Amino acid sequence: MLKINRYFKEIYSSTAFPGIIIFLMLIAINAVIQPGFFTYYSFKLNLLSFTPLILVSIAQALVMLVGALDLSIGASISLLTVFMASVMGDSPLSIALALILALGAALAMSLFNGFFISYLKLPPFLVTYASSAIWFGIALYIMPTPGGYIPKPFYKFYRSDFLGIIPIPVLILIGVGVIYFILSRLKVYKHMYAVGGKEEAAWASGIKIHATRIKAFLWSGVFIALAAICLVSQTATGDARCGLSYTLDSVAAAVIGGVSFSGGKGSLAGAAVGGVILGLLINILYFANVTSFYQTFMKGIIVIGALVVGSVTRMKEQTIS
Amino acid sequence: MAFNGWRRILVSRLTITILIILLLFLLGEIIFPGFMSLAHVMSILRLSVFLGIVALGQTLVVLSGNEGIDISVGSVVSLGVVVSAYILGGENFNIPQALVLVPLMGFAIGLANGAGVSYLGIPPLVMTFAMGNVIEGLSLIITKGFPTGQAPSLLEVIGSGRLFGLVPYLVLLWVFFSVITVIVLRKSKWGNILYGVGTNSLAAELSGVVVRRFRMYIYAICGATSALAGLLLLSYTGTPYLNLGAPYVMPSIVAVAIGGTSLAGGKGNYSGTAIGCVALTTLNSILVAIQATEAIRQIVYGSLLLALIAVSERRGG
Repeated sequence: MLKINRYFKEIYSSTAFPGIIIFLMLIAINAVIQPGFFTYYSFKLNLLSFTPLILVSIAQALVMLVGALDLSIGASISLLTVFMASVMGDSPLSIALALILALGAALAMSLFNGFFISYLKLPPFLVTYASSAIWFGIALYIMPTPGGYIPKPFYKFYRSDFLGIIPIPVLILIGVGVIYFILSRLKVYKHMYAVGGKEEAAWASGIKIHATRIKAFLWSGVFIALAAICLVSQTATGDARCGLSYTLDSVAAAVIGGVSFSGGKGSLAGAAVGGVILGLLINILYFANVTSFYQTFMKGIIVIGALVVGSVTRMKEQTIS
Repeated sequence: MAFNGWRRILVSRLTITILIILLLFLLGEIIFPGFMSLAHVMSILRLSVFLGIVALGQTLVVLSGNEGIDISVGSVVSLGVVVSAYILGGENFNIPQALVLVPLMGFAIGLANGAGVSYLGIPPLVMTFAMGNVIEGLSLIITKGFPTGQAPSLLEVIGSGRLFGLVPYLVLLWVFFSVITVIVLRKSKWGNILYGVGTNSLAAELSGVVVRRFRMYIYAICGATSALAGLLLLSYTGTPYLNLGAPYVMPSIVAVAIGGTSLAGGKGNYSGTAIGCVALTTLNSILVAIQATEAIRQIVYGSLLLALIAVSERRGG
């Protein structure tokens, strides 16, 4: 009996506890309001829309681990969709070129943010808030209204199934799992936690602080590019505004997933689960027939709720430890 | 001694900003003859008032430290506009009611911001960003997409009237607010506490200030001033529109940075911000006049903010 008690206590005091409870509740609510939630079709539909959010949440978690934050994440995703939609044509070469451009641009933007934050030691919030305006401005300059061209084979691919049964997003997420596996075996991954947790201690033990921060931003750039590629496949258009909501969503998802604002705590897997939780929450808005006037408000409340729950959990953890 | 004094004035931030404003006006005059006419200068000053009032709250929030910043100001201004119009309904006798309720509404929103920042430890930019979305949604719910009501005649006189046919009443109001703010910040005990909290919150806490509560109320004041700016904006436009506040968010932060207030908190004053507001409004007028698109403005403001923080916010080392 005592053992069971302790077992429950352990679950209860874990940072993941509220996440797990919320997750189960959300599955239940979604199952009730979304017709055929457990069918293959529905699963695939949810997966298509959750995948970009999951990827952005991982990207955000990466920079949060080193004690930074990227508020330009949404604008950079928008800009990448604009880039891809302006470069892509029907030829495979142009598609390849667009994908390379997206990855290159994502890395360049992350490097830009990382440079200002790490080497010039500027506050991450302000830097990325400023760069967000720049990315958004450039995207808007190239495409004042949504448009561009995404070839049909390209966006059909995202919706297709591998071997006729495994949806492509599943393969993408497995690929992400592999990247995560490799990354977690690299030295830089441990360094990120060290830099985010106790910078002085990390410095004293010979870790290159600046280089680690920049690398975290670059890895984040890889996931931003992936997210943008998925998003542009989903919407089949370039849009200077399509990514903007991902900025706050990714922060909220990472926080629900146990990543702390001060850095050094949480995991990429947690952030990914946070992304799914947020996706399920937003789903409710669509399937519960919330009037469009209420959607912005409700979505905002959900995000604030997520931030509050995440912060309260963090406080609980602090008082326990 | 005297030389040093002059030198300090010459290279001070305020002087540089004023010089930049003059340069901007010259540039404007070259592109559009008549830009420097007294009437046009006055109308630029009047346009600066709304940004000025928003940036007043922003300055206080930034001064309070802890990476303090409020980007929900835009949504609160927008909400202020539509709620003012709704309350006023074009009737003069509703003005006192609006003057009380609208800032109170902003105060309540700011209180929620401050609670999230101070008591839950959510970073100010994240908290106010999220709150901004909620408030934007609230505007939509209240108006159902079509704002109703309008400014009554008396308010329109304040919004578009000019003293002796020259100085807009709004500018006089702003000067009044500015003087009060600068004096309160410099001379009052409250101002002292604010600087103390911004520079060293631990020392402030030890000297008996409840820092968390104090910061929370600073956000509340910022909410109130933003809502008031919405009311004043309505007095100028006459009829309400949605999202009138959005263009003020970025400039309010840039104005604070131009004015020499450290974005790390604890240093600076409103006088600098006010001059910064005039500079930005002048810049914006030029951008509007040369038909720069929203895209160009975003890039300009983003680069400007980045340059300003790169120059003044380096944490050293």
